[in-house]
Amino acid sequence: MHLLEVENLTKSFGGLKAVNNVSFQVDEGEIVGLIGPNGAGKTTLFHLISGFLKPDSGSVKFKDEDIAGLPPHRIVNKGIARTFQVVRPFRHLPVIANVIVALESPRGTRKIEWIKTLERKALDMLEDVGLTELMLEPAENVGHGDLKRLEMARALATEPDLLMLDEPFGGLNPLETDFLTKSIQRIHLDHPSRGILIVEHKLYALMKIVKRVVVLHEGQKIAEGKPEEIAENKRVIEVYMGKEM
Amino acid sequence: MVTAYFRRAYSSFATYVFDVPARLLAFLLFLLLLVYPVTNPRLPLLFILTTANVMAIFAASWDLLVGRSGQISLGHALFFGIGAYGTGMLTKYFGLSLWLTIPLITLGGVLFALVIGYPCLRVRGPYLALVTMAFPLILTGVIFYFADITGGERGIYGLPRFFPFLRMYQLQLAEYYFTLMLLFVSGIILYKIANSKTGIVLVSILDNELASKASGINVTKYKLLAFAISGLFGTLAGSVNAHLLQSSAANMASLTVTLSFMTVIITIFGGLGTIYGPIAAAYILTILDRYVLNTIVEIPTEWHMLIFILFIILLIIKWPRGIARFVTDKLEDLQEERELEERGKHIWKTYKKKEKIVPNGESDHAST
Repeated sequence: MHLLEVENLTKSFGGLKAVNNVSFQVDEGEIVGLIGPNGAGKTTLFHLISGFLKPDSGSVKFKDEDIAGLPPHRIVNKGIARTFQVVRPFRHLPVIANVIVALESPRGTRKIEWIKTLERKALDMLEDVGLTELMLEPAENVGHGDLKRLEMARALATEPDLLMLDEPFGGLNPLETDFLTKSIQRIHLDHPSRGILIVEHKLYALMKIVKRVVVLHEGQKIAEGKPEEIAENKRVIEVYMGKEM
Repeated sequence: MVTAYFRRAYSSFATYVFDVPARLLAFLLFLLLLVYPVTNPRLPLLFILTTANVMAIFAASWDLLVGRSGQISLGHALFFGIGAYGTGMLTKYFGLSLWLTIPLITLGGVLFALVIGYPCLRVRGPYLALVTMAFPLILTGVIFYFADITGGERGIYGLPRFFPFLRMYQLQLAEYYFTLMLLFVSGIILYKIANSKTGIVLVSILDNELASKASGINVTKYKLLAFAISGLFGTLAGSVNAHLLQSSAANMASLTVTLSFMTVIITIFGGLGTIYGPIAAAYILTILDRYVLNTIVEIPTEWHMLIFILFIILLIIKWPRGIARFVTDKLEDLQEERELEERGKHIWKTYKKKEKIVPNGESDHAST
């Protein structure tokens, strides 16, 4: 049984097929990278899985249950949490309250162990990503790198079985990238059964963490395999670099 | 045992109220409102303050919906009208006591809020504001059409007062204290909701609806909740006001755009999203409108609105975040300054002590 099984997923906007007949799987405890040039349909695929868009055809199965077309909050409560490419903090709320919102969701409330209070759990989440010092700062005063980590803390608060990160390294400097890589690896070690799906442009950072890579181009899957194989795949190089003259 | 309990209750009250300057100020103002009628009984102002109590409940209920969940509604007068006409019709056709009609129509207001809120969820921002603006107009149309049942423009009059066994002055006093208590209770409930975890979720919807959904929040449920709570207290204010004026439509203003916008003005003037801001602003603006301009300065009524609006525009330019936030910020700054000063004194004292100790210590050391 796969944790997430995407089969023949298709979505078009007018005449443009943004995602065209894409199938792939994510297993328990696996980190999968999703790459492709701009406009390849990665974010659309993310929206389809997390319920922000409804697919035209095809199915998304999570733990053998079809979740395609469910509203986003239902999908989160089934155990898929996601972050956004452009950070979406709750600007008027302090950093810790940003996490509390996710803990107020049905799944978030259920995942609080009986000995912890909600606030304690929120603090633990912030500690995991290293934001404890900023916890009372309103999110509008917090820098971009910290907001990226806040997004992750918020997604982790519901203790998802599948974590989907949309360009987690976007706009981060090398130091922050390094820190985030380490936290993703630590999250992976702490919850060995959790699947992680990452969309990323920074291939160098991505290839270090993922076990398997899926490559999209113009809405279609063109390759899948281990990072080393993908790096040498002719079609992938062609897509990224252009054809050899 | 009993004294110990009271002492503990007092100490928790003291830490909750006296240690926060803004809360202390609010407490003192509340005490002033409690004591004022006893010390200086002036009938016209007492009635104006009673109206201010009702307006404060109404504005605070709008603030929870708009200031917290960000669902901009420009038709809050709808609930005022439902409350007024509802309690009137229940009294007239079923002969119920007002202690029954007010809770009944308040629950009815919640139902109305849910029915209206559900289709409203499909539109956002300015479109929502326009759609909600239409609802009071529709209700006005319905009331006019069924004039033989609803009483139309004149409404249903001769409604019972709250304490019919009391005489004129005592009655007014009793009504004043009753509405003040009602405001106190509703204000605390609204403030508690606004600052609870539910309130946090509501603000998250205002800030970024998509991210709330991605956090597993059922946005529809929370928006409807905000509509329902807001409708509950809005209807309560309307029905109480009808019994104060003994008529469900003493002024058709209860359903017009003016009342809806008055709520907006009061809330923004007081501080959007604070709950206590609109309550304070309701007093300031009602007293300014009905007492200062009417009784003290005696400006012709045609000029009222102009002066009123100018005053508000000036204040909003000066304090765009609302008068209540301005005051609490100032108080917090003062407290911080005082704490810094005390810390400075403390450091200065220890420094002085050290100066004295150090030579002694050295001399001791030298002698041994």
